[in-house]
Amino acid sequence: MEYSNVEVVEVEQEKAPSMAKVIWREIVRDKVALISFIFLIVITSLVYGVSLFLNQDEIVKVDLFAINQPPSNEFLLGTDYGGRDIFGQLIIGTRNSLSIGILVTLMTGIIGITYGLVSGYYGGTVDNIMMRIVDFFLILPFLMIVIVFVAIVPKYSIWSFSLIMTAFLWMGIARLIRSKALQERELDYAQASKTLGTPNWKIMFFQVLPNLSSLIIVTMTLNLAANIGLESGLSFLGFGFPEDTPSLGTLLGYARNPQTLELRWWIWVPAAIMVFLLMLAVRNVGEALKRATDARQRRG
Amino acid sequence: MALLEVNDLKVHFPIRGGILNRKIGAIKAVDGVSFSIERGKTYGLVGESGSGKTTTGKAIIGLNHITSGTVKFDGVDLAGFTSKKSDIRKDIQMIFQDPYSSLNGRKRVLDIVAEPLRNFENLTKTEEKKRVQELLEQVGLSPESIIKYPHQFSGGQRQRIGIARAIALKPKLIIADEPVSALDVSVQAQVLNFMQDIQKDLNLTYLFISHDLGIVKHMCDEIGIMYKGRYVESGTKADIFNHPQHIYTKRLVAAIPDINPVNRQQQKVYREEVEKEYQQNYNDYFDQEGLAYTLRHISDSHLVALPQKG
Repeated sequence: MEYSNVEVVEVEQEKAPSMAKVIWREIVRDKVALISFIFLIVITSLVYGVSLFLNQDEIVKVDLFAINQPPSNEFLLGTDYGGRDIFGQLIIGTRNSLSIGILVTLMTGIIGITYGLVSGYYGGTVDNIMMRIVDFFLILPFLMIVIVFVAIVPKYSIWSFSLIMTAFLWMGIARLIRSKALQERELDYAQASKTLGTPNWKIMFFQVLPNLSSLIIVTMTLNLAANIGLESGLSFLGFGFPEDTPSLGTLLGYARNPQTLELRWWIWVPAAIMVFLLMLAVRNVGEALKRATDARQRRG
Repeated sequence: MALLEVNDLKVHFPIRGGILNRKIGAIKAVDGVSFSIERGKTYGLVGESGSGKTTTGKAIIGLNHITSGTVKFDGVDLAGFTSKKSDIRKDIQMIFQDPYSSLNGRKRVLDIVAEPLRNFENLTKTEEKKRVQELLEQVGLSPESIIKYPHQFSGGQRQRIGIARAIALKPKLIIADEPVSALDVSVQAQVLNFMQDIQKDLNLTYLFISHDLGIVKHMCDEIGIMYKGRYVESGTKADIFNHPQHIYTKRLVAAIPDINPVNRQQQKVYREEVEKEYQQNYNDYFDQEGLAYTLRHISDSHLVALPQKG
């Protein structure tokens, strides 16, 4: 090995102009975002951790001897009209709502990014046809189709709910990515890749996509906040989960009963606060990420 | 036989408009360009911005769609091979104008330079690394550079990375699209001399696209002058610089700055003379649309788009 001395140049692999570091600095510099970030981590780990020890069947079991109990030592946050423990429902409900939010965000992200990237990268006729399909999905009445779906699907799970939401929510990110991909493909590095013989799919996913990563991170985070809210909204209206699958939305839904709204605050106030805080926290972190990707807006 | 033969190349971009996005016209970016490059030589393509020189280069390498005409490389017509993976594509590479946008800022130098190798050669990780380090040494960068990102380099160094990438596959023809116009003057000389060195070492043929006549004079054996998508004059370096025939070429040559201050007054007078001739004879040398006439031989190597009445 005559090149062995060259080979030694195995310097420690330094990470990119480190996006992660920039983001972290931005979050630390912005106290509100930092508090939100810590809150999110604590809540997420708490909710997912504690729910491992909770028995969902036990919690959603109707207990007629303990209906509408105010908070006490036995029931930390009281019970609802079926004698079900609100605290347990809140924990499991938050977990379910978060899971749906994350699942929907990831699935819309994967579909939307791939679709937008292909459409924008090829441009021309391909782009034209693909974008008309997006337009078609955009004019579909989302709420009505979800109601019909709820009526015809017998067993409603986190997965089926996420899928139906994904089917109507991927267009936004697809359009965003498409417009960016249209710009990127004209840049010299993409053209250079072509002259070097790199196949189109490789240019799309390994050259162009990394350059859109900051946009993707920001959009996905902000989408997450919106998706948590959307699930709660649908469940509140009664088009989400049934009562035996607690979610933040079903807990809020109890407040449709005027008596509950007025007299039994412990049933819906904690869930309302939870939705509010979760969305706010995710949004604060998202805003910090947004600033981190734009050097002119950075505080750190 | 010439390495590259371009015959009556036309690249037209459609103008769409009206109802149903119909084609209502065309921008004739390149309109009937012919030239040929001999092996090991440097051919300079000169013209003002928008004259179609870059479009010509991109059409040859397959980035722009060829409307009509033939591009023969080593005897094989390239028009049928648009951006397909083939050995022919491997033999033509391009150096881009802007060293800042032509390197992907998210990739390490190793990944950037190894990209063509990964497409055409099956190398193991260690072989690949060794090859990239050799290439970097060839362009005068340290082998440690492989773990760095493009933004950690200066403009000249970035252009060298671009060159390393272009020569990785040992191409026969390199299309250099204004390779130094984004660099400052001290670095320009460095990169140009380096390009001449590797030309000798690797027996490269260059298609050198530029608007800077000083650089073209330094680099090229043969030169073609473009104006509005057409050739106005082509010939050897001596033909163009010593006996410019077309008023457009004369004006270009007169515009080359002279560093000797003693000649300043003389240069100014000469330049004004040429400018006056250009204004007076403009209508003779260009047709109603302001385009150049067809080329005519005035010697074996020298072609000029002279007016019909001549």
